[in-house]
Order: sequence, then structure tokens, then C-alpha cells
Amino acid sequence: MNDVHVDEWLIDHVRGELDPADRARVDTHLVACDDCRASRERFAALMTELARTAPPPPPIHWGAYRAELRERLERRTSGSAWLWASLARPLPALVAAGLVALLVMTGLPGAVRTPDPLALDNTILASQLDMIARLDVVQQLDLLEDFNVIGELDELPEPRKS
Amino acid sequence: MESSDEQLCRAVATQEPGAFDLLVERYQERAYRIAWSVLRDREDARDCSQEAFIRLHESAGSFAGQSKFSTWFYRILVNCCLDQQRRRRGWRRLVGWRDQRADGPDERDPVEQAPAPFTDPVDRMDTERRMTKVWALVDELSPQQRAAVTLSCREGLATKDIAVVLNVSEATVRVHLHRALATLRRRLGDEG
Repeated sequence: MNDVHVDEWLIDHVRGELDPADRARVDTHLVACDDCRASRERFAALMTELARTAPPPPPIHWGAYRAELRERLERRTSGSAWLWASLARPLPALVAAGLVALLVMTGLPGAVRTPDPLALDNTILASQLDMIARLDVVQQLDLLEDFNVIGELDELPEPRKS
Repeated sequence: MESSDEQLCRAVATQEPGAFDLLVERYQERAYRIAWSVLRDREDARDCSQEAFIRLHESAGSFAGQSKFSTWFYRILVNCCLDQQRRRRGWRRLVGWRDQRADGPDERDPVEQAPAPFTDPVDRMDTERRMTKVWALVDELSPQQRAAVTLSCREGLATKDIAVVLNVSEATVRVHLHRALATLRRRLGDEG
């Protein structure tokens, strides 16, 4: 240690926290090394200044502090008691029924089926069966429309004379 | 004969009346002072120190007595403070991110872009009056370094106790302290 600087040991040396063997080695080095000795003095002065000049915190009213703490503690204690009580309380019948229904819907295999595309086509076709049964009327719809136009030809406005 | 902190903590665990109040009275000033040293905000310090007492009340049964009560309690307290710091930093980052989107690409640190947190001018003057230059520089250290310096230089905790409080190894505490003090020395040298 005598040849190597002991910078990282200096704070513990100042604080008196080195074990005897390390302390003896640092002491020996400090006798021979002006840089480390000066560095140790600067650390010691800084730590003394920090301890001496530590700013006091802004003053507070300790009675109010303790009252507020007591209130917070009671709120927290009653809050957790309420949580446990509500967990222990039996679930209302409606919520329980809802949960059972949800479990049945999601838990039973095939309880909820996706629509079959073929069945969907059949449904659409069935809704159109009535129209197919009256196919003759459907086929003549255009013709009926033409008859209607012919019947109203005399009501068309006269062509403009240039 | 006066009960020790450890005996009181066990009494809190068994819900003995008055034990918690006694512990609060013993530790309220230290808890608030440490929280303020780390957070530098009166309301946050008040909130975090109270939260630490509430957690103490909730977990007194888990105090195994392997360390001193004060070390165990400071650990709860400093955890609250560092959590608060992280929340505050997360919020600032969010604000910085929004500013960056509004103003176009910007390479600056989002924390630098965040607006300064609102401080009551009277509180600020009060704080500044109390602050020496060196403690103003401590404010600029990382939260862990600031906690290490506070616990070491102000509260007089040994390295092994700071390690328990910060939940890191003793070697890490030494690194935090060395870097913090070297930074302070350099900045004081630069500015002085």
C-alpha cells in the first residue's frame, strides 16, 4: 500500500471505520505521501463542515403532525378492515347468478357457437321463398311498368316549338 | 425504567396501547429531518415520514431484531423517500416528453426541460437562509449519494448501518460516499 495512493480508504480513515491492520497501513502511507495526506485533510474538513452546517428543516407543529398521522393510520386501518369485510361478505344473489351464467357461457364447450355459413344462406333463401312462389308476378313487373307509362302518354307535356 | 426502541417495536406488534405513540414521539424529528434532507420539500418530507410510521405500524411484527430498531426504521423511511423521488422524476420525465413533442426534436435531458417545481416563496427564502453553499451542492447529488451523505455526515450512521438502510453492500456505500465527497470537493474548489 505504501507505493499505491490510498484515496478510496481516506473517508473510512477519517470516520475511524478501518480495521486495525488497514488503519496501520494507511497511517504508514500517509506519513510518506504528501498528496494523500493533503487529500485526507480536505475530506476531513469537508465532512466537518457538512456535519456543522447541516441546515435544519422548516419547522412544523408536532401536535398537528401526530394528529394527522393518527388520522391517516385510522383511515388506512379502517380501509383495510372494510376490504376484508367486503371480501368475506356473501356475494349478492344477482352478482352470483351473473357469475354462474358467465361461467356456463364461457366454461361449457360449445355453449356459444359461431354461426354456420351454410345455415345463414338457408335462412336468407327461406326468406325469399315467398317471392319465388309468386315468380309469375315478379317476371311481369317490367311489363306492368311499361303499361303504366303507355296509359299516361296523353298526360306528357307538349314538345316545345322552336 | 424506560423501554428500549426494540421493546417498543415489539409492543407495537402486539398492539399494546401507547407503544406506537411513544415511538413516534422519539423518532418524529429524526424521521422528518432525514426525509427533508433527501427530498428537500416540506410537504413531501411530512408525507413520507408519516408514511414510514404507518408502514412501521403495519410491519412491526416483522422486525426480527437482527439490526437496531433505528436502522430498520431508517430503511423503511429512506425507501419511502426514494420511491417518492422516483415518482417525482417519472412525472418530470413525462412533462419533459410532452414539451419535446410540442417544440419539435430536442436533444436536451427531459429532466432539464421540466419546469421547476412550484415552491412557496416564503418557504424558499426560509430554506435558502438555512442552506450553506456546501449543502446546496449536496442537493445536486443523486438521491442515493445524498442519502449516504446525510446518513453519514448528519446522522452519524456507520457504513454498515447505511448499507442496511440503503439495501446495498458496504462497498457500494463507500463508493457512494467517496464519489459524493470527491464531487463536492471538486465543485467547491471550482467555485471557491
